[in-house]
Amino acid sequence: MDGIHDLGGKQGYGPIDRDGEDEIFHEDWEGREWGIAQCARTPGITIDWWRHCRELIMPVDYLVRPYFDSWAQTDFSTYIEAGWMTLEEVAAGKSLNTDIDYGEPPPAMTFEQVLDEDRAHAFRFDTAIDAPPAFEVGRRVHTVKHGHKGHTRLPQYARGHVGTVHAYNGAHVFPDLSAKGTEVHQHCYNVMFEAAELWPEAAGSKDKVYLDLWESYLEEA
Amino acid sequence: MPDFDADKVSEIHQHLHSHLPSEPALRVKALETLLVDKGLVNPQTIDAWIEAYTEEIGPKRGARVVARAWCDPDFKKRLFEDAPAAIDELGYLGKATAHLKVVENTDKVHNLVVCTLCSCYPFSILGIAPAWYKAAAYRSRAVRDPRGVLAEFGVDIGDEVEIRVWDSTAELRYLVLPQRPAGTEDLNEDELAALVTRNSMIGTDRDLSKG
Repeated sequence: MDGIHDLGGKQGYGPIDRDGEDEIFHEDWEGREWGIAQCARTPGITIDWWRHCRELIMPVDYLVRPYFDSWAQTDFSTYIEAGWMTLEEVAAGKSLNTDIDYGEPPPAMTFEQVLDEDRAHAFRFDTAIDAPPAFEVGRRVHTVKHGHKGHTRLPQYARGHVGTVHAYNGAHVFPDLSAKGTEVHQHCYNVMFEAAELWPEAAGSKDKVYLDLWESYLEEA
Repeated sequence: MPDFDADKVSEIHQHLHSHLPSEPALRVKALETLLVDKGLVNPQTIDAWIEAYTEEIGPKRGARVVARAWCDPDFKKRLFEDAPAAIDELGYLGKATAHLKVVENTDKVHNLVVCTLCSCYPFSILGIAPAWYKAAAYRSRAVRDPRGVLAEFGVDIGDEVEIRVWDSTAELRYLVLPQRPAGTEDLNEDELAALVTRNSMIGTDRDLSKG
């Protein structure tokens, strides 16, 4: 999706605001949302669907809402879309629906249990697949220009450019389909682009940009 | 179960734009209240997650990894071969680090990490990302104007140094291994870890001898 979230290379956002950079949570509600996001998930949700729902926040909100506030909005949207929450309940501020079986309420977890839970969140997204990778390290590749309206992890700034395969990452869950609830693994590569290839003003620069890209984002150069 | 209906979600966002309370604190309170009311979330567990990422999980872990890599060549070798397994030796494997990669600064190379599409970050070794890392200014400029970004952080990169920007577009996460400052041969691992800044592990800090 060519959305407001796809910020790489966009101009006009001004200097970087480092105010309060050493505070972990600037306000209490930020910590509350962090905690909510760690323990609350609708069944069947995928990380890519959640990311896509965040990308779909209205641009005017996406750019001005504080970061964890956008997480809260994303959580609301995923719960409502999945039918586990309604707009009426959001307006009423309480649960109105009693015919959904949410299962047993989760027990309170201690600090130690949460540390274990964090370790359990070391999710892997790769697996072995039968098809051999199409590109070996060192191969020149051309990124596709696709701009389908769904979720993708090929940023606009890296489309239609030539890069070099820097590393093979294994076959990882393909986000474009994972955001639609389908888990398919596809070869994923780290691809190096010369800054001069991506940006007109970078002619002669020795700087480089590396992206992790799936096989269907790439063609032989 | 989600229907994965993006058009429906766009509509929901439009409704939420008009109908959620105006203050972030009230919006999050509304979310928590509803989830607790439905028995989906336990508020004490939320407290414990806040405590975990305030007291235990944070950049001190990353600094420990860096200091050990400086002191122990075998650990450093393992860190480059299989970073998740290496940080697991320290008990730091966790959220968003199962596909961790470590990239090394040298006299000729400086690494900088960004996520232009969202805000991917190696939580279990660096904790909560600083606000600037998740904001539009950094996300838009890091890939296009890394030298300008670094200058704003007070880091001047000479023309002889190549900048490598790592845009976290997949589930891989990147940790920068900064250079060990000169004159620290006598320091032990604890003392070295104290020199390592969070920003140096993202790449917006470079010379750790400045203290």
